[in-house]
Amino acid sequence: MSHAESAAAYAEARQQVEQRWRTAFESSAIGIAMADFAGRFFAANSVFRNMLGYTESELYQLTFLDVTYEEDRKANQELVRELVEGKRQHFQMEKRYCRKDGALVWVCNNVALVPGMGGVAPFWFAVVEDITQRKEEESAHRYTQEKYRLVVETASDAVISLDETSTILLANPATTRVFGYDPVELIGKPLVILMPEFLRKLHDAGFKRYVATGQRHINWQGTELTGLRKNGQEFPVEVSFGELTKDGHRVFTGFIRDISERKQAEEMRKQTQKAIQTTQAELARVSRHTTMGELAASIAHEVNQPLTAVNNNSNACLRLLANQNLQPDVLRRALEEIVADGTRASAIIARIRAFIKKAPTEKNRLDVNEVIGEVLAMMGHGFEENRILLQSELAEALPPVLGDRVQLQQVLLNLIMNGVEAMTAIIDRPRLLWVQSRIDESGDVLIAVRDSGTGLDLEADRVFTPFFTTKANGMGMGLSISRSLIEAHGGRLWATPNVPHGAVFSFTLPVDTESPS
Amino acid sequence: MTRAFVVFVVDDDPSVRSSLKFLLSSVGLQVESFESAETFLQRKPPDAPSCLVLDVRLRGLSGLDFQRELAARDIRIPIVFVTGHGDIPMSVRAMKAGAIEFLTKPYRDQDLLDAVRVALERDRARREQEKDLTDLRQRFESLTPREQEVISMVVSGMLNKQIAGELGTAENTVKVHRSRAMEKMNAQSFADLVRMIEKLKGSAEKAS
Repeated sequence: MSHAESAAAYAEARQQVEQRWRTAFESSAIGIAMADFAGRFFAANSVFRNMLGYTESELYQLTFLDVTYEEDRKANQELVRELVEGKRQHFQMEKRYCRKDGALVWVCNNVALVPGMGGVAPFWFAVVEDITQRKEEESAHRYTQEKYRLVVETASDAVISLDETSTILLANPATTRVFGYDPVELIGKPLVILMPEFLRKLHDAGFKRYVATGQRHINWQGTELTGLRKNGQEFPVEVSFGELTKDGHRVFTGFIRDISERKQAEEMRKQTQKAIQTTQAELARVSRHTTMGELAASIAHEVNQPLTAVNNNSNACLRLLANQNLQPDVLRRALEEIVADGTRASAIIARIRAFIKKAPTEKNRLDVNEVIGEVLAMMGHGFEENRILLQSELAEALPPVLGDRVQLQQVLLNLIMNGVEAMTAIIDRPRLLWVQSRIDESGDVLIAVRDSGTGLDLEADRVFTPFFTTKANGMGMGLSISRSLIEAHGGRLWATPNVPHGAVFSFTLPVDTESPS
Repeated sequence: MTRAFVVFVVDDDPSVRSSLKFLLSSVGLQVESFESAETFLQRKPPDAPSCLVLDVRLRGLSGLDFQRELAARDIRIPIVFVTGHGDIPMSVRAMKAGAIEFLTKPYRDQDLLDAVRVALERDRARREQEKDLTDLRQRFESLTPREQEVISMVVSGMLNKQIAGELGTAENTVKVHRSRAMEKMNAQSFADLVRMIEKLKGSAEKAS
């Protein structure tokens, strides 16, 4: 081969190498760029150009610092200086480029300073990988981790992680508040130190079974258990657990909430509710006694005064008359007083009637069966104590009535109490009390209280007369008032004999025809 | 019934008060009426046989409190209670504290008049008894110490001779003391004297 031939072959070979390099340079999947010693780009492959969004000619006007994101420039310059000073052969740096369109691109830069050779000046050679996606993923991951860390650190519940042997790996600061232990004290300790004795075996067995078989023995989403504080105090907790497999190991994380206060509040609410119910029943009983009993007592006293005076005056006249010793002026004065006292008595009765009529009523749509149920509940042990068999026959789906709940309760209670009292002396037959509700022939709601007691004499209606009573300590006002109340509701109240024994007291209430409010 | 009896009516209701006064006077009783316990207490205690017809429900001091107050002041006047509405505990309390009767208004007039008669009769008897006792005490105190001594021994069952021996005097002297004492005590017989001394002893024991 001649020198010329060999020179030509060499040139050709060289060109081939050159071509291969260029192709490799251009078609590389990774960005490659070269810059002169001052940093100005003079070569860059399409990957690099696309990464930055500049054309070749635009790019060659710029230095690498121009395209580096401001915040990363200082670190970049420092590395460059070290390279120039020969302290290192090359460097790798993760940094951000600022694209032509202003967007940032995360890259991993591998940079070398290629020394000058022959006529070639030294230049910078950089292999650049776009790591934006990785960076975003990392950031998202970090964010998530940070978020979880924050949640765990600031949680008000104790958060405790366990390994497969139920040994504590981690405890958050709230653990101190809940259990009284410093988190550091707990790490490496078995979880059971946070439980009272009676739960420990159960926990160990259950935990082992779960780890072995995956079979859960408690609900992992909120189970109420008992915790044990460092000071030995037991307290109610609500526990939720989650499981995670990390590097082939299973980690259990529990959220433990101190629910002492909630329990106390619940207990308090229960007690309050109970107290309210008792009070309501008591109130109904008392109001029945006060409105009926007290009213009756005060009526009795008020009306008895003029009645007594009338009797005294009349009897005195009769006695004087019998002795033929009644002077006309004495008689006149006595008669005047009698008339005055009669007027006074009727004024008292009128006042009471007006009072009963005007008594504030609160009419609501009521289910009569509901009212009956309430009254039977108010009677409580009253039936048992008097050895009375109660039988209620309540028609289903009764239409509502418009009425005052308390007044209807009072009437019903009065009728039931009367029935009960009428049977206390009965020893030769069962003491039966029926309470019935139904629709009567005229379409009204009818309520009947039937007893097997002593019953009524022939003039059943006399029982509604004020001061009529068959009871040793009765006032004779209950039925009279009850009738007034029922009549004020637009209904009727009457009594009939029961067969073969006892009495039936029935009252009607008109059905509320208004559209439901 | 004699005019000497007095019935006191205490009731705060004017028509009840005046009608009661009318009713009681229609059977010949003397009646004084008061509207409250306090006004009755202002009156000086009566020296004639009397009783109280008292309403339980009074303005101011109630009838039952009034009863207690009278007992505290040692005014032993029988009480007939009347009430507009009485309950059993109330009547039990009144009767335990010595009431004659507990009537519920409107009462039968005969029941009231009967109760008043019982009350007045009881007061009369008590006053008579007290008067007897006072007389007896006065007569006993009119005896000389020696006569009182002799009488006490006689009543205890000792013979004149024994008493003479005990006192160191003659049997005749004892006889003289004894007959003088019988005379002063207005005793009709030895049995009468024994009864008188027993009565005095009984009241002395009661008082202590």
